[in-house]
Amino acid sequence: MSLQDDELSALIQSKARYHRASEALHADVRARVALAAAAAQEAPKPERRRSWRGVFTQWTQAAGGFAVGVALTLMVSPLIVQWAQTWRQPGDADLVAEHVRSLQAGPLIQVASSDRHTVKPWFQGKIDFAPTVLDLADAGFPLTGGRIEQVGRERMAVLVYAHRRHVLNLFVWPEREATPAQQPSQQQYRGFNLLYWHDGQMRYGLVSDMDAHEVANFQQAWRAHRLQP
Amino acid sequence: MSGTTHLFETLVSPWLDAGYNLARWLLRDEAAAEDVLQDAALRAFRYLGAFKGGDARPWFLRIVRNACYTYLEGRHGLNELSGLDEADFEHLQLRDGRTAPDPADLLMQQRVQAHVNDAIAALPPPLREVIVLREMEGMSYEEIADVASIPIGTVMSRLSRARDRLRAALSVHGAAQESGDR
Repeated sequence: MSLQDDELSALIQSKARYHRASEALHADVRARVALAAAAAQEAPKPERRRSWRGVFTQWTQAAGGFAVGVALTLMVSPLIVQWAQTWRQPGDADLVAEHVRSLQAGPLIQVASSDRHTVKPWFQGKIDFAPTVLDLADAGFPLTGGRIEQVGRERMAVLVYAHRRHVLNLFVWPEREATPAQQPSQQQYRGFNLLYWHDGQMRYGLVSDMDAHEVANFQQAWRAHRLQP
Repeated sequence: MSGTTHLFETLVSPWLDAGYNLARWLLRDEAAAEDVLQDAALRAFRYLGAFKGGDARPWFLRIVRNACYTYLEGRHGLNELSGLDEADFEHLQLRDGRTAPDPADLLMQQRVQAHVNDAIAALPPPLREVIVLREMEGMSYEEIADVASIPIGTVMSRLSRARDRLRAALSVHGAAQESGDR
């Protein structure tokens, strides 16, 4: 017994598997497009001093910004909490909110280069500290560029790395009190893996959606490169 | 900058799933389909300026389709696969790691589904892509012709040959009878 064309169509339409891209793949595509858009900028824009209220306004005005509704849900509660609090160290919520904002609204990158001898001097004159900039390409974490961000009351250098399809934001800000270097600590926040450490002079916060073991690999690579002359 | 990302989100993002589905069916490989979708999305972003307006779905799926054939060419060390007819494909006998259906599967619905998916997957790419675009994307002959860069007459003849093969494959497995009580 043979199928008619319309029976065959109906069979295919009901039984054939329609493959949808995963949430992770959708997010990766958006991140890569954001990266490409940032890299296409001709000159680095002057950094903007941005209050939390300013960020919120930019979000609502970016009509058609990626998943604005989801991002607003993610960001509104930390924003309200932040507004009421006195100065404290930037925490998980702050860095994750900034990480997400940089991928979805941008700019992700103000100086696009994988050469640390281009990225490091770019910060000179724009911030009052000189961040260590390492290229960890041989460990699978190439440097893609940098930017300056106001996160809460801290003005930070942000180094942007890539790892396979992941975008990594490494936040760097100066240590305010003389404290001895600490062991790195991993945190989880809303599914993102964060890594914090400080070396006595700078504080570091790495935000990405990599696995915990990939985050550990980054930390090892950083430490190994840091020790090189 | 934010203007073009907005344009990407309006024009291309709605068709990312369609692009992934086409890539998945053409390449029969999840990781490859993810890579090709990434590549095609970036390419679409870069060429947004060249898009002349109208429905962006055929425009984007054309980019995906071409990226798939480029990928297949790279993997098999061949050239110009995208212009070949299915007879030429059969001569080439491309091999890849497609898994066989589970013979222990007892559920009627799953058996029918496996047969339908296997039958489509077994089609050579020129026939497989017109079935995916027609039956899963509901595209018109003109749209399919646009995506695959072939004349409308070729779309219709390939659809006809694809359906003949599917009918033969599904009749052998008795899928026609099994799907009768849906």
